[in-house]
Amino acid sequence: MSTGKPIVLESLAKTYETESGAVQALLPMDLEIGAGEFLVVVGPSGCGKSTLLQLLAGFMAPTAGEARVDGARIQGPDIDRGMVFQHYALFPWLSVIGNVEFGLESKGIAKAERHTRAMDCLRMVGLEEFASKKIDELSGGMKQRVAIARAFATEPSVILMDEPFGALDALTRRFLQGELLKIWRQHQRTVVFITHSVAEALFLGDRVVIMTARPGRIKSEIRVDMPHPRDVTAEDFRAYERTIYELLDDELAKTFRPGVYPQ
Amino acid sequence: MSTPVGSAANGRRHGRGAALALQGLGHSLPYLYAAIAIAIVWQAVVVLTEAHSSVLPAPLQVAQTFGQLVANGELFVHIWASLRRVLIAWLLSALVAIPLGMALGWSRRLEKLVDPFIELFRPISPLAWIPLAILWFGIGESGKIFIVFIGTFFPILLSTVAGVKCIDPLYIHAGQVYGCKSSYSLFRRVILPASLPSIVVGLRISFGTGWAAIIAAELVAARSGLGYLIANGMEILRADTVLVGMVAIGVLGVLFDSVFRYLHKRYAWS
Repeated sequence: MSTGKPIVLESLAKTYETESGAVQALLPMDLEIGAGEFLVVVGPSGCGKSTLLQLLAGFMAPTAGEARVDGARIQGPDIDRGMVFQHYALFPWLSVIGNVEFGLESKGIAKAERHTRAMDCLRMVGLEEFASKKIDELSGGMKQRVAIARAFATEPSVILMDEPFGALDALTRRFLQGELLKIWRQHQRTVVFITHSVAEALFLGDRVVIMTARPGRIKSEIRVDMPHPRDVTAEDFRAYERTIYELLDDELAKTFRPGVYPQ
Repeated sequence: MSTPVGSAANGRRHGRGAALALQGLGHSLPYLYAAIAIAIVWQAVVVLTEAHSSVLPAPLQVAQTFGQLVANGELFVHIWASLRRVLIAWLLSALVAIPLGMALGWSRRLEKLVDPFIELFRPISPLAWIPLAILWFGIGESGKIFIVFIGTFFPILLSTVAGVKCIDPLYIHAGQVYGCKSSYSLFRRVILPASLPSIVVGLRISFGTGWAAIIAAELVAARSGLGYLIANGMEILRADTVLVGMVAIGVLGVLFDSVFRYLHKRYAWS
């Protein structure tokens, strides 16, 4: 079984050209992500964390610098970098299992094996009984489980997660965080996970990168030294949380000018 | 013991059949009401105006002629002649308009280039092409197929373009991340299925416009088809035949549309 690969960002930067001029979304960023690491990026909205993930996915090219996976420069989307989207991005014209098989078909895996492997992944997320259902028949939490199964099915070295639980209710979210951790520990993929929930970041991450307000750069990074499963009510968890909130509060203050109500 | 069980199962089967028949009846009931209302008003007009049967025959007389044309098979010959032309032209149209529409929906540059041509040709009714079609193709089959092609082309093209343009970019990204390397595989596995519901709507609408166009084309130049039946009825002063043709056009139009609605509900994903 293949495992995760390391990612290196070298002066990775992105500037958008808009009608009202250039907008710096991401200032040159250097970062090393270890093979099989679970890295979480938190930051105020508009801080460029989504831009970072889009660059890692290869949906757009950086303005400067580069990102490398195991030494190879990212030049476009690749099946070796799976992605879980906030709004699922499952194909409604395919069944649940059809969605999980999609990437396996791209890899040229024969039909019978495709089915077996997709069923394994659906079992992993507890949805084997829903294999032939239509996507629109599922709840949001179930859809995201299918998306996670789809991401792990192709055994990519890297899995990019763009606020995957952001649209879910708190209970479903808590449950899926636990499920994701189990799957991640079993499969040892490198995960880059974006969220604006500090508790989520601390519950999941080996390391948490905190970004500044726009233009985004790394403000600080914190290694989370707590064994899994982490207790969100424990004192050390709270202490980590306080530290990160203090860092983020400074950034949020910058985005709102004093005396002006935020729109 | 086995008999009551068997009969119960039978009863259930009959029950389901009856339920389905009722459902079918439920769907056609509004049309039945409409038909009865039309017949009543029609009959009233005939009585009040004392119209001569060569100008406006009574509903019953038309029904009689309808029965005759069904019995001697003539009506079916004309229906098939019209339907065959529409089917051929509509399929040809789909074959050209769907790929072209997908290309136009995908490439803004190509769309900018081609759009003025489309917008200039689109307002020209297929009927306006009839004289040229006769000059170019004579009164054979190809002229009529050409007319219906014009009438069916734009609805399919425009709904395909709209279908591709409205695709959520997320699907494109997901397709790329999960292995659609070439634009061909992205088209086949993501863009085509994602735009299919809109394409099916275009196919349905264009069948309707094609059905209208073929009648017009046959009115002018044909030796068969429902349009010919109507034109010929007028020439030999048989208003009842004209009305039989008109009724057939209306009923078949509704029938085809419901077939498409059913297919759409059954197979399109949204």
